[in-house]
Amino acid sequence: MLKYIGKRLLYMVLTLWVIVTVTFFLMRAAPGSPFSGEKELPPAIQANLEAYYGLDKSLFMQYVDYLISVVKWDFGPSLKYKGQSVNDLISEGFPVSFALGMEAIFLALALGVLLGAVAALRHNKWQDYTAMIIAVLGISVPSFIMASGLQYVLAIKWSVLPVARWESFAHTILPALALASTPMAFIARLTRSSMLEVIGNDYIKTAKSKGLNSTEITVRHTIRNAMMPVVSYMGPLISAILTGSFVIEKIFGIPGLGMHFVTSITNRDYSVIMGVTVFFSVLLLVSILLVDIAYSLIDPRIKLADKKGE
Amino acid sequence: MKKKLLLFSILLVFSVILAACGGDDDSGEEGTSDNSGDNGESTSDNGGESSAEQVFKANIASEPFSLNPSLANDATSSAVLLQTFEGLTRIGPEGEPQEAMASEIETSDDLKKYTFTIREDAKWSNGDPVTAQDFEYAWKWALDPNNNSQYAYQLYYVKNAEAANTGEGNLEDVGVTAVDEQTLEVELENPTPYFLELTAFYTYFPVNSKIAKENEEWYADAGENYVSNGPFKMTEWSHNDSITLEPNEEYWDKDAVKLDRIEFAMINDFNTELNSFKQGEFDWAGSPFGSLPTEAIPSLKEDGSLNVEPIAGTYWYKFHTEKEPFNNVNIRKAFAYAIDRQGIVENITKAGQVPAMAAVPPTMFSDNEEGYFDAVNIEKAKEHLQKGIEELGYDSVEDMPAVTLSYNTSESHAKIAQAIQDMWKENLGVEVELSNAEWAVYIDQLHQGDYQIGRMGWLGDFNDPINFLELYKEKGGNNDTRWHSEEFASLLEESQTETDSEKRTEMLKEAEGILMDEMPIAPIYFYTNAWVQDENLKDVVMSGLGDVQLKWAHFE
Amino acid sequence: MENILEVNDLKVSFNTFAGEVQAVRGVNFHVKKGETLAIVGESGSGKSVTTQSIMRLIPMPPGEIKGGEILFEGTDLVKKSDKQMEKVRGKDIAMIFQDPMTSLNPTMKIGRQIMESMIKHRKIAKTDAKKRAIELLDLVGIPKPEQRVDQYPHEFSGGMRQRAMIAVALASDPKLLIADEPTTALDVTIQAQILELLKDIQKKTNTSIIFITHDLGVVANVADRVAVMYGGKIVETGSVDEVFYNPQHPYTWGLLASMPSLDAEEGELQAIPGSPPDLTNPPKGDAFAARNSYAMKVDFEMEPPMFKVSDTHYAATWLLHEDAPKVEPPAVVRKRIEHFKEKAGER
Repeated sequence: MLKYIGKRLLYMVLTLWVIVTVTFFLMRAAPGSPFSGEKELPPAIQANLEAYYGLDKSLFMQYVDYLISVVKWDFGPSLKYKGQSVNDLISEGFPVSFALGMEAIFLALALGVLLGAVAALRHNKWQDYTAMIIAVLGISVPSFIMASGLQYVLAIKWSVLPVARWESFAHTILPALALASTPMAFIARLTRSSMLEVIGNDYIKTAKSKGLNSTEITVRHTIRNAMMPVVSYMGPLISAILTGSFVIEKIFGIPGLGMHFVTSITNRDYSVIMGVTVFFSVLLLVSILLVDIAYSLIDPRIKLADKKGE
Repeated sequence: MKKKLLLFSILLVFSVILAACGGDDDSGEEGTSDNSGDNGESTSDNGGESSAEQVFKANIASEPFSLNPSLANDATSSAVLLQTFEGLTRIGPEGEPQEAMASEIETSDDLKKYTFTIREDAKWSNGDPVTAQDFEYAWKWALDPNNNSQYAYQLYYVKNAEAANTGEGNLEDVGVTAVDEQTLEVELENPTPYFLELTAFYTYFPVNSKIAKENEEWYADAGENYVSNGPFKMTEWSHNDSITLEPNEEYWDKDAVKLDRIEFAMINDFNTELNSFKQGEFDWAGSPFGSLPTEAIPSLKEDGSLNVEPIAGTYWYKFHTEKEPFNNVNIRKAFAYAIDRQGIVENITKAGQVPAMAAVPPTMFSDNEEGYFDAVNIEKAKEHLQKGIEELGYDSVEDMPAVTLSYNTSESHAKIAQAIQDMWKENLGVEVELSNAEWAVYIDQLHQGDYQIGRMGWLGDFNDPINFLELYKEKGGNNDTRWHSEEFASLLEESQTETDSEKRTEMLKEAEGILMDEMPIAPIYFYTNAWVQDENLKDVVMSGLGDVQLKWAHFE
Repeated sequence: MENILEVNDLKVSFNTFAGEVQAVRGVNFHVKKGETLAIVGESGSGKSVTTQSIMRLIPMPPGEIKGGEILFEGTDLVKKSDKQMEKVRGKDIAMIFQDPMTSLNPTMKIGRQIMESMIKHRKIAKTDAKKRAIELLDLVGIPKPEQRVDQYPHEFSGGMRQRAMIAVALASDPKLLIADEPTTALDVTIQAQILELLKDIQKKTNTSIIFITHDLGVVANVADRVAVMYGGKIVETGSVDEVFYNPQHPYTWGLLASMPSLDAEEGELQAIPGSPPDLTNPPKGDAFAARNSYAMKVDFEMEPPMFKVSDTHYAATWLLHEDAPKVEPPAVVRKRIEHFKEKAGER
């Protein structure tokens, strides 16, 4: 197990290196400069700026410098926001995005599994149809429309929740719901189909033949086995939440990290692009590893160690 | 810091796992409530009704580039700096520069030397006196090429400033000298009739040199190091989230200041901004702090809540005058005349914009509402097209090289470009391709001359027509059109030394006449500020440039 | 000996899009205490539906018990509510399924799967339940039960899993054990071991067993009595000796002829031609008539009643009618019968 994790970590470093390299060169291949404006800067200032941010060195040297800074986990100053380092941006933005993301993941999982389970247990009854209509809506309505819709109904029409900002728990509900809606719908469908499959399995009949009641069967035998596909969806779920948060953070004026992910590219804010990409990549890679570990905990058939034979 | 980040990443993933197992559901909630607790404390009294409270709340959409006036280069920073800082002059409620930090201003006869006497009671928000040295320090700091100020060129009117900034000269030679604590002498490169407009601009603001010398990063956050000399001081800056200003008790004119607090939020979504305004969470929605969603404007107009004020800005199309077919003035004119400007402002932009038939906005030249040509004149356009085709030796319109219209990616620019594409097709029979690129790419293309017709807008930095006209003075630099006219350039040159303001205006108008006759640019419309505001909010001063001062603002 | 189970005129149907499938069409049988009854038939003959109906494991809908009664120790299971049935399942009647690879929960330790019904029905403490689970694993012949009890199904071989499954079924000392083709999915040598085990357990626990199979070959070894099912009905029933040495129904003959034999010289296997009847629309007369080379006109028109051969031996074929011509079983079958007798003599 330890050996396996060690090996995975090694692969992660390799993957990260590939990501850093590809991002770096793609970013630099894109036309446009972080300092371009309507008025062209005097060449001297332009040169000074470039020297200050190390952009005057050869591309390869910049790349090497960058690799070193990634190793040191110090992404340097933002080119767009004066006096702020990328590390500052991340450490200020991430806790917010994290809280939002966790709330959304929690909602997506809790509501998704609940809806899916109800739909499967009441297969082809009205509960099933209702749950699946909700799921189809959740999948087909883009999150920004969901966000505006929720905002309009709950904040403006009924005034029960705040329109935007990130201040109290009440402020977090709408954005978390909007962010959770698509993955929630996905999880609901996944849970439903997976539950239906599990319900048809012989071991459920075995459980029934033992005299267990339907609650006991669902809790002990069905849900756990039906959760496998859901757990393996956790990786994509985390990335969906991470990338989806940009739109939601924008609409609700939330000072999270998702915003930087996109605006840094428009701004050609090289250090932020790289810093946020590396940060998100590490986050994703680690979460995928942890999801795999979780998977092996739920399903004893899956062995992490890649030893052969058994 | 680094460790914290790593820890966070691990924590996130770990709690995801917990959630996955269904074992520990509250890990997510914990994070949330922690955070909201933090924020809740600082702004807990946010929910209260504002009108009697003298608290002004608005949205500035995004994080300001920098709240160091020497580094700022954007409207967002400006919206904050105009409340927190004060220059030698300030644009008063009537739109004219008035004494601010300077109590007395002396001008030499040749208009090349200004002597400012700093107010005795001028103080920084920490109680330090504002000195002439603070101005000298700030200007030279901005000009120091090592400090990478992207707006240093605003100071080029000062003698030797450009040379110092480009590294060809010495900072010591820059024509700004603190004679004593109270006296600031400024020598200019050329006579600059609008110099007192400039001293109200943020690049000319002072910086507390005592603090800035001790702490290079004084402007990165709110706190004891962030001191300002304007009507308000910044008490909180939550990056990418909000900025809070409170009255500066040390301000010389503090009795004029009525607001108890200003709260700027940073929500980069204009629908949300308007929705929050409707819920009473903002007292202002729209320009210049934020913006109104175009689709909401008609209904706001209908219920009478919409305010529209023309500002010093022009939306125009640039022609590349060295590329066929736009090297021909008649072709340029044909394209310019065939645009139905009224149609565009009525059906597309909708926020009370004014059709532009001139380069300089009517806030500077009031008769420019009429302009130099008709808002649309298809007959004339066709005539010019025919003439141009003949001059260039084409057989017909079809023979003309393919034309591409470029703009930076944005829904509103796209709508305008599509409409104009239709007009050109219908009115001139010319098929034009559209091409768009994101801003950073687009601006590079324009600067490199890699375009035929390109969209651009210009918002005045200071209230003088020269600001619009000098863009086309030199061939290189910012003049992407590559157009040049000796006559135009010398008229601008002469206007600098003209002390009689009426004569000077005439010269500038003549120059503008040349520009509109040669037509390297096709003006489309003049910008406006469109906004909605709390009915009880009074005495907000909006200058001709469109920026807002809250010094005198209050709720009734 | 008293009957532990009595099934009277049981009718079970499934409502499908194609119409009502009459899977079980009036079945009568009984099981005595400590006795093993084998129900033999092709797939689709209704044998599994019959036994699952006893456990009330038929999903309803689409399944429906149309009539009859299932008397378990004198009470009618058909009339019980689902809640009441939960107290019967696992406790009084337990079941072993065909495929040991799929009938154990892959994500639950074997021990817990055994303990589950004990804790539910016997209300005993977890530690005691675990002890008992180890004993049971030992009983079903799993070596090192102390270790095995904490393992997952995928760590068991197929035969081991079926042993574990038997342990699961025995957990609450059921009075009746239903084994639904428990050896079909296993290879031949393991089959024999499992059958041996079942016999052994019956000896030790005196449980009654219903043994379902399509393979007459295994029946001789385990059962006391045999019921042959065809087309949703029992067509012949009797003691093992009666059915094997003196089969009456042509379908039983067919089964005997198609029985794979362990002796190579006997090698002639004869499959029964044709396919089972369509139970959406059951034939009017004898359901087997269409595949029966001895069929008479009456077979296509009227259903044969159960004719008594002896006190314990009955068969539903018109051939037993006094007016019917006397027919001998085919030569292959006769040869086989001789062979059985020889072998029995040897023993």
